[in-house]
Amino acid sequence: MLSVKGLKAMVGEKQILKGLDLEVGPGEVHAIMGPNGSGKSTLAHVLAGREGYEVSAGTVHFQGEDLLALEPEERVHRGIFLAFQYPVELPGVNNTYFLKAALNAIRTARGEPELDAVAFMRLMKEKLKVLHLDDSLLKRPVNYGFSGGEKKRNEIFQMALLEPKLAILDETDSGLDIDALRIVADGVNTLRSPKRSMIVVTHYQRLLEYIQPDYVHVLARGRIIRSGGKDLALELEDKGYGWIAEEEAA
Amino acid sequence: MMATGVDTAATVFDAWLAGVTEGLSGAGLDWLDAERGAARARVRSAGVPGTKQEAWRYTGLKPLLEHEFTQLTEDITALDPEDVEDLLVPGLDAHRVVLANGRLVPSLSWVEGLPAGVRAGGLRTMLEAEPEVLRGRLGRVAGDGAHVFAALNTAGMDDGFVLLVDALTRLDRPIEIIHLSLGMDEPRLAQPRHLVDLGEGASATLIERYVSLGESLYCTNSVLELSLGDRASLSHYRVQEESPRAFHLAGVYLSQAAASRYHGVNVGLGAAWSRTDLVAGFVGEGAECILDGLYLAGDGQTMDFHLDVRHEIPGCTSREGFKGILYGKGRAVFDGRITVARDAQKTDAQLSNRNLLLSRGAEVDTKPQLEILADDVKCSHGTTVGQLDPGSLFYLRSRGIPLPQARRMLCVGFAEEVLDALAPEPLRDFVSARVGVRLEQASLD
Repeated sequence: MLSVKGLKAMVGEKQILKGLDLEVGPGEVHAIMGPNGSGKSTLAHVLAGREGYEVSAGTVHFQGEDLLALEPEERVHRGIFLAFQYPVELPGVNNTYFLKAALNAIRTARGEPELDAVAFMRLMKEKLKVLHLDDSLLKRPVNYGFSGGEKKRNEIFQMALLEPKLAILDETDSGLDIDALRIVADGVNTLRSPKRSMIVVTHYQRLLEYIQPDYVHVLARGRIIRSGGKDLALELEDKGYGWIAEEEAA
Repeated sequence: MMATGVDTAATVFDAWLAGVTEGLSGAGLDWLDAERGAARARVRSAGVPGTKQEAWRYTGLKPLLEHEFTQLTEDITALDPEDVEDLLVPGLDAHRVVLANGRLVPSLSWVEGLPAGVRAGGLRTMLEAEPEVLRGRLGRVAGDGAHVFAALNTAGMDDGFVLLVDALTRLDRPIEIIHLSLGMDEPRLAQPRHLVDLGEGASATLIERYVSLGESLYCTNSVLELSLGDRASLSHYRVQEESPRAFHLAGVYLSQAAASRYHGVNVGLGAAWSRTDLVAGFVGEGAECILDGLYLAGDGQTMDFHLDVRHEIPGCTSREGFKGILYGKGRAVFDGRITVARDAQKTDAQLSNRNLLLSRGAEVDTKPQLEILADDVKCSHGTTVGQLDPGSLFYLRSRGIPLPQARRMLCVGFAEEVLDALAPEPLRDFVSARVGVRLEQASLD
């Protein structure tokens, strides 16, 4: 489904990703772990197509298509979704209006008819129910004045609504207390399906207690240096990231 | 090199007024003749302002003076309700007054059913029927110090709308004044003159809209005098959607007594060239003046707002919050002046002007001016000129929203803060949609 080969990317003058390989199959959940500055968020942003990240080598294919040639919105139309580490506040842009614009933009791009107001509200209610969320966030401007937990919940709600084929969760656990983390993780688990792959980027093993990955990759200095099953996360929890540097030096 | 300002003023503006000398309403009333005569003398002696004058530095009058506008004192009789139907705000429940080229059109105006203690009607009608009511009131707030175009308006004042509200009287339904301009063979000058006087504790909502049928060339030069008694409250919404070739000059002069409250929301969307002066003064303590505004300017548009808030009395509050969106080759000027006199202690004055520049060709000159002579005050100002935030744009695109639509959404979001202040919901929805249409037409791709 997603095939990353030899990916090198720069932010400004700085080389962050230095030859990264990653294969994600349908329905698989991959955790990407690593210390700060290892390139986790850069990978998430490069996949989503953020400006300012320059790919200098390598390829990324999504369902056989060259992902890097696409604009950010086109990637979404193909089924990619990025849940932000820091969701952006948009004062003056109503959340419901925003969600409807997003969904209909995707539908239009796929040649499907737009949803009218009634059909859209029905869909929203349905998704809220599935995630056990109330509608209080929908009447407010997008993320504006939201608590950290509300912002992350809003991200997960968007994911539920837009139904991506590949969801990339960029440090969704950062800044959340244990209750908020559980709510977000429950949402993610609800959205797991054989047709939906996920890349869960995280610094801590904590999140993986709630979202059980099929694969765990350790990212350090711009490369994946180890891959394994979910036990690898536990090993990391025990040993910390210090051993990576030692192993590399050896 | 242009002829001296004074000579030019005499020839240019005299020509503009040449047709009205005989037919102005209330002609023959001594006090009114004297007022008009003095105003005309002021126009001549003041001269045409040049860009060397600070108040006109960024907005030259040259484009205006290239045309020979003439004011006529004739009614537009051939207007049917169907002609204005498309211009109305859907769902807006308001008393309505329609002026065509500066003259009130009785057949399109409904101000019946007003509560007792409210007098509302045309200036011309009132000057004919009960001129004494207006004596000492007309020109009281705008005063002699007002600039040359206010004097020009006084020299040619003929018709407009008068609203006099007795003490403690509440007007629950808004009053909407529609300034309609119709294309004529020659470029026309319309000089509506309005007067609103709220007694002690009275309250009202006033909506002013400037619209046109067709895309003709004309000049509006309006003056509105607002007088608020103790504890009176006025909400005032101005929406300028003149024709794309029009010139728009407007002066709003406000006088506030103790503990009165004024909230003005100014939305500038139309005209090729426009200049709006908002002048507020206090005559009693504890009054509050809020001036909000939103302006959009694209190709072929110059939009100028001059705000002048004068704190000469202690303990008054003023808030100025204007936002601008400039695109294509649009130009805007924002001049926000706050003066605090030596005795005006405990003044609380804040000014903010934020601008979005969406293209390289767009331009804004923003100039906050605070002159504070008192020492116990709370005053602040802030102006910004910036582009759309790349992070916000990426967030929208990362949800599948194409770039041009993402830009528009952020612009509308930027404008929304001002538009939220338009209290009547139908008006807010209407103006919000008009802003959307303009952003749609503006090539943001």
